[in-house]
Amino acid sequence: MRWLPALLSAVTLLGARSSLAAKKTSEERFKEFHAKSLTSTPVKLADSSYKQLTGAPRDYTVAVLLTALDARYGCQLCREFQPEWDLLSKSWIKGDKAAESRLVFGTLDFSDGRDTFMSLGLQTAPVLLFFPPTAGPHAAASPEPIRYDFANGAQTAEQVHTWLSRHMPDRPHPSVKRPINWVKWISTFVIVSGSITGAYVLWPYALPIIQNRNVWAAISLISILLFTSGHMFNHIRKVPYVASNGKGGVSYFAGGFQNQYGMETQVIAAIYGVLSFAAISLVVKVPRITDARTQGIAIFAWGSILFIMYSFLLSIFRMKNAGYPFSLPPFM
Amino acid sequence: MSANSLQVLAAAGKGESTRTALRVIILCLIAAAAVSSRLFSVIRFESIIHEFDPWFNFRATKYLVANGFYKFWDWFDDRTWHPLGRVTGGTLYPGLMVTSGVIYHALRALTIPVDIRNICVLLAPAFSGLTAFAAYLLTNEMTTSNSAGLLAAAFMGIAPGYISRSVAGSYDNEAIAIFLLVFTFYLWIKALKLGSMLWGALCALFYGYMVASWGGYAFITCLLPLHALVLICMGRYSTRLYVAYCTWYALGTLASMQIPFVGFLPVKTSEHMPALGLFGFLQLLAFLDYVRSALPSRQYQTFLWLFAGGTFGLGLAGLVIATSAGIIAPWGGRFYSLWDTSYAKIHIPIIASVSEHQPTAWPAFFFDLNFLIWLFPAGVYLCFQQLADEHVFIVVYALFGSYFAGVMVRLMLTLTPVVCVAAAIAISTVLDTYLDARSPDPENAKAEEAVEGATKKASKSGLKSTTKPLVGIYSYVSKGVVVTAMTLYLLLFVLHCTWVTSNAYSSPSVVLASKLADGSQHIIDDYREAYQWLRQNTKDDAKIMSWWDYGYQIGGMADRPTLVDNNTWNNTHIATVGKAMSSSEEVSYPIMRQHEVDYVLVVFGALLGYSGDDINKFLWMVRIAEGIWPDEVKEREFFTPRGEYRVDDQASETMKNSLMYKMSYYNYNSLFPPGQAQDRVRQVRLPEVGPTLNVLDEAFTSENWIIRIYKVKDLDNLGRDHASAAAFDRGLKKKRAAKKRAPRVLRVE
Repeated sequence: MRWLPALLSAVTLLGARSSLAAKKTSEERFKEFHAKSLTSTPVKLADSSYKQLTGAPRDYTVAVLLTALDARYGCQLCREFQPEWDLLSKSWIKGDKAAESRLVFGTLDFSDGRDTFMSLGLQTAPVLLFFPPTAGPHAAASPEPIRYDFANGAQTAEQVHTWLSRHMPDRPHPSVKRPINWVKWISTFVIVSGSITGAYVLWPYALPIIQNRNVWAAISLISILLFTSGHMFNHIRKVPYVASNGKGGVSYFAGGFQNQYGMETQVIAAIYGVLSFAAISLVVKVPRITDARTQGIAIFAWGSILFIMYSFLLSIFRMKNAGYPFSLPPFM
Repeated sequence: MSANSLQVLAAAGKGESTRTALRVIILCLIAAAAVSSRLFSVIRFESIIHEFDPWFNFRATKYLVANGFYKFWDWFDDRTWHPLGRVTGGTLYPGLMVTSGVIYHALRALTIPVDIRNICVLLAPAFSGLTAFAAYLLTNEMTTSNSAGLLAAAFMGIAPGYISRSVAGSYDNEAIAIFLLVFTFYLWIKALKLGSMLWGALCALFYGYMVASWGGYAFITCLLPLHALVLICMGRYSTRLYVAYCTWYALGTLASMQIPFVGFLPVKTSEHMPALGLFGFLQLLAFLDYVRSALPSRQYQTFLWLFAGGTFGLGLAGLVIATSAGIIAPWGGRFYSLWDTSYAKIHIPIIASVSEHQPTAWPAFFFDLNFLIWLFPAGVYLCFQQLADEHVFIVVYALFGSYFAGVMVRLMLTLTPVVCVAAAIAISTVLDTYLDARSPDPENAKAEEAVEGATKKASKSGLKSTTKPLVGIYSYVSKGVVVTAMTLYLLLFVLHCTWVTSNAYSSPSVVLASKLADGSQHIIDDYREAYQWLRQNTKDDAKIMSWWDYGYQIGGMADRPTLVDNNTWNNTHIATVGKAMSSSEEVSYPIMRQHEVDYVLVVFGALLGYSGDDINKFLWMVRIAEGIWPDEVKEREFFTPRGEYRVDDQASETMKNSLMYKMSYYNYNSLFPPGQAQDRVRQVRLPEVGPTLNVLDEAFTSENWIIRIYKVKDLDNLGRDHASAAAFDRGLKKKRAAKKRAPRVLRVE
């Protein structure tokens, strides 16, 4: 029975230790988390460590990303932003080994911190919270965290870096250092040298193609047709290929003059192409046909294709611009 | 005697001089058509300057005419960008104003008294006639067909893509710049064909004029070296090219550097580097050419390629290093947005906010060019048939131009000339083929083909479709059918152009027109009413704060100093105005006091359903302000929690407290029965209680409420803040207010 008090005291001691741990000073907590972040940053948090890290009297700064990386949640933005976030925290911690900026990066995944998400009332992820210090020389007036706005999609590390720097004046801001992408460099080198070799070997065979006027004419005409049918608009605005018309069907043509779908521009490019080709045939090919009958048929064929296609084009244009008054017979 | 004169008359129909006379008459008629199709707005409204930028150009021209050239050159304008001012003489393209000034003084010297405003209004139509002529000259360099040039002139004269920027009253740089563009290209082709230093110098002269007129001169600066480079790559280096290019580059660069706004940019910025690089490259080629003539050897070819390629690579590397080291300024923001198409969206909201900088959807191409758009590729294909140096130019221009027109709506303007030229080549080839009265003899043709087929093996370089000999068209019926169809398309084109010009491009946008129920036209003249009010009721130096869109109009029509205007050279200053508009009254008032603002002007379309108002532009003000003060202005807070942009009672608190919202909807309720206030632009019902304004007094509201002007209150006499002073006033006046306010009456004038 003599070991019981010893055990008891040990238990109480342990209990005291653990309660002591919860009441660690802000300085100690920072040291602990900074040590962790030196080995792996951002620090992976759970509910308890999140509470500990962001506890009220703190003389350091915390930036926590609340995210949902698991494939079950299907958070595309979270997965896109995660590498940027890791890169930012790594280069920050690396550039500030002495912890002069007193900033701790943390990541709390939904699967580890369900309660935190509940208590914050979060419906969406990712959320980036910035906890300014409540004590010390840089203490902020309000202990409330500042939320970063992900409204414009995934952000780059540099953008988040400027946001952080703005909220942390008078402290060092180690800049984001992107690691050299060796794979990219090596693959570029291989591809370039390979293509140079290929070009050298294939040169005698490629030269007739390069000097062929037909090839260049085809390239020029195709690019002109692409540009004039609004391909650059698709590229810049990232328009959908087709869209639903709200009645379960597919609408191929966007309503409105300033708008278009991907499919629509391809149709237009094809129409322009057919029209141009008909015109070219009429002036270049047809006068070179020696047989009078064949020539008559060719003229009739190309002429009607031209007429019908133009009429179709006008009818499409009237769809886009309701007030347009002109049309040609078949498609009135 | 009489028989003799008859003979002369008959011969004259075929003579060269008659043709020339006919050509001159046709060109004059085309010019007349070009001018008259641009007069819709003058006839419908009046001789008035349109839109926004032209008002500044008009104001600058008046200054030039009144004060002379040297004062204009040194003009420091303290009535814009208050309190910064603008070194106007050094930050504008003076070509347009100087042209009008010269015309004005020339007419005065001829004792024709013309108002400078009328010169400014009619300058663009007058120059469109010249553009048609320049298109005629350019096309004649491309083809031997007689009709192509005239067709190109006609197309150029009435194509909506060009009319959009050159109707009467649209007194903008483009008005003369397109003529200069086409004419410079003509002179370049001429210089290149003849290898003539004289034509090269003329080309440089007009290039200099172009630089003095429009920022779009960079298009020429990039296109000519590109053409030269393509020619060199095709192995067509010649002394003609050397002479033409070097003359143009040396003289043209010197000429462009005389413009203060351009200054040393031609040797510093990246968009001018291709021209400089090719200039150096041509010197090397000329040197090599000389070496070759001095030492003929078999190995020379290899030496040449290695030497030229190495030097070119070194030059390119040097350019990259100099750019990254900051010796050469990086590409301008607008040019970045042309290459990297998502650049503007991320980095420069002010560029993204301008609708002219948006990409072009396909209907815009068809709207502006009609059937020329599908004849254009056909014309380019025909250029591949002969592919002389000048045809290469058309091909390069076509590719370059259509890319840029696709990226930016505004650059449709630079594409239009080449479309007209190429389409004219196509149409004229059709007409030449099918309007030929002679029909070929089938037997003859067959025999000829047999002969050709026997001898033919050569001419591999040509197009595949042109290997067979040209025979001609046999049947008169098919000739008739094709010609009729083409005539139909041409007539449709004329109708289309007239319709587009009349409906889309002839609105001055200063004066709005609407149709009444009985079909008669009703003129809405709120803008001028408000500007006139400012001119007559405010101090001469009262500072007006408005969004930058209206800066030039306020300067031009109201003659009052403004904080920001359409020049947009200082993003921070614009953001300051954006912040004042998008913040609450307490934040905005100090900003307005610091900038000595006397009046605030907002455009409000809710009563009339005028969609181009400030509430619809408001998000851009927020975004631009957010770019500078991300902590104080946040775009997110102007949306409802569900991410909607609303103005009714669901609107976010930040939105409701913003100065812009309050100024727009202040007192708007009083027009409607309680709870019935409608916003006809956004189609919503507004909250029953309208916003209150503490730091501003309503000074003026125009007839249709499009323009509302507020006076900024002075500091309170008793030292209270405005909110409590206003609350105190409201508390006192609650009972008397109803009596004091006279009932609202409909103004009938």
